[in-house]
Amino acid sequence: MPVELQTDERRTGEKNTGPASLPRQGGRLLGLRGSVIVAIAVAGLWAGLVLDLRPGDLIPSEGGLSLARELFSHALSPAWTYEARDLPPGIQPLPLKALEAAQVTIAFAAAAMSLSLVLGLLLGFAASTATWSENPLGGEGPLNRLRRGARPLIYGSARVLIALLRSVHELLWAVLLLAAFGLSQLSAIIAIAIPYSGTLAKVFSEMLDEAPRDSARALRAAGASSAQVFFFGLLPRALPEMSAYALYRFECALRSSAVLGFFGYPTLGYYIAASFENLHYGEIWTYLYTLFALVAVADWWSGAMRRRLVG
Amino acid sequence: MTGSKHTERDQEIQRLYRERPRSGFLRWSAFASLLLVIFAWSKKELWNEEFFSERRSANFERFLGELRPYPLQGTDFDLGVAAAWAGDVLAEKGWTAAGITLAISVAAIVLAALGSLLLTFFATRTLATSAPYLPALGPVSRWRRWSWRIAVTASRGMLILMRSLPEYVLAFLLLAILGPNPWPIVLALALHNLGILGKLQAEVLEDLEPRPLAALRGLGASRLQIAAAGLFPLALPRFLLYFFYRWETCVREATVLGMLGIVSLGYWIVDARARNHYDEMFFFVLMGAAIVLMGDLISAVARAVVRRAA
Repeated sequence: MPVELQTDERRTGEKNTGPASLPRQGGRLLGLRGSVIVAIAVAGLWAGLVLDLRPGDLIPSEGGLSLARELFSHALSPAWTYEARDLPPGIQPLPLKALEAAQVTIAFAAAAMSLSLVLGLLLGFAASTATWSENPLGGEGPLNRLRRGARPLIYGSARVLIALLRSVHELLWAVLLLAAFGLSQLSAIIAIAIPYSGTLAKVFSEMLDEAPRDSARALRAAGASSAQVFFFGLLPRALPEMSAYALYRFECALRSSAVLGFFGYPTLGYYIAASFENLHYGEIWTYLYTLFALVAVADWWSGAMRRRLVG
Repeated sequence: MTGSKHTERDQEIQRLYRERPRSGFLRWSAFASLLLVIFAWSKKELWNEEFFSERRSANFERFLGELRPYPLQGTDFDLGVAAAWAGDVLAEKGWTAAGITLAISVAAIVLAALGSLLLTFFATRTLATSAPYLPALGPVSRWRRWSWRIAVTASRGMLILMRSLPEYVLAFLLLAILGPNPWPIVLALALHNLGILGKLQAEVLEDLEPRPLAALRGLGASRLQIAAAGLFPLALPRFLLYFFYRWETCVREATVLGMLGIVSLGYWIVDARARNHYDEMFFFVLMGAAIVLMGDLISAVARAVVRRAA
């Protein structure tokens, strides 16, 4: 009842005469937040119309249904041996094959993360307002003036570079690099590393900006140099959050690296696609469960780190 | 400048250093990460191939030449011709593909948000218990306690399962089952993001200040009433922020998932590559980047609005 009354008051444009302690909700029919939600609903309807999403299409056809049945009936019985009849001589047992695919998946992810950590840290430092504002370069002279003038330039170009790096998906980079260099493991690593550097840099710069600046200011007041202020004042306050986030991104990199297999790299995705094409449903689950296990371990690890670092 | 003061201070510094927080787990983790990186880079398959071989660099140069719009290859760059070519590509495929890409991302995130609203509350440990926010008045039967515990574990498990399967793999499997319509891609994207949104939102709900909620409980509110009148309005700004953050990722993924055969940008990218039309491929990649940048901008504006309203 009181809710209805309030809306009515707003509709008639009368002032809210409720107790002064109640927060005023703005004069419009919908608050800002309400209009955001309405906009989302309208956008959702538009999307459904553009895509011609019909609920009826959610019911699979006869063939699709039997395939789904076949696929899910194997969920509890993943294959331990190959389902193909003619095996090439000297082939490793299936579990070892899955482990090898997992190992390649991990290796791509770790190599890509190590590259993007370096680039992400450098760009993140450059794109953080805290890096610059907590290090006021005093002093006159042409050199100091030049350094001051270069700062907005470095900051701005770092921001633009981050946006550009992030704007192309790793799979698109993979397609581009495949076209440019052919199938090479190094290009898979680079494909993951490029957008991940951008994302890490963006989040690192935000974390540096949001970290408490008291110790940086204290160091500054005690006469520390710019580098000292940054490395002993600013960075340590943001480092726990940053490491926890980096580990989370490693988990994402594992997934990306697995998916790259669909483009011919020997990661888990390659074997998932191959066993699907050969209708080896048990094998699909072997590889899927291997992927689940990898992601679960990474998830547990990053969670445990986060609890210890951030609390 | 007396000696004793110096040693006192030094001792204090040494004591602080000795008593600094240390964690064996973190040291072990740092060491393990280092080993992992060394292992990754020491794989011999990486170094056997000649990444910068003569043949490769010749290929690469040819590739760079073919990135130029087709009517301009081998001639000087002419902006008018390039614009006419781009206009043709846009009119023929570009605009529709861009619209479909955007629509996929929007449909997916809206479905994910709706689904997460159902699951989040069941995954919130503070709400989905036999005695939310206040100790129970009477004895609680073991059956009730266990059924809540099972509900929380099951919904958390479902969320983990949804987010641990990459959307590309999920879309690949769903496409085989549902056939060639946009649903598989939308559903794959929606399920993956449901898993992520559900986890993040449950964390937000668990971190809410419990006292007002306990007050609601004390007035006799049911779990549904607490959720509708307490948890949801309190957490809505954070929910909306996460919604837009995840939408940005959805736009990125939507450009790619078309590769599986739905005519979004990704479809035309793979198609152009298969026909060796690298100029078109590159154009669509740039278009995808433009859409992603636009999505980031819209999301940033929307998040600013939500923050202001909060």
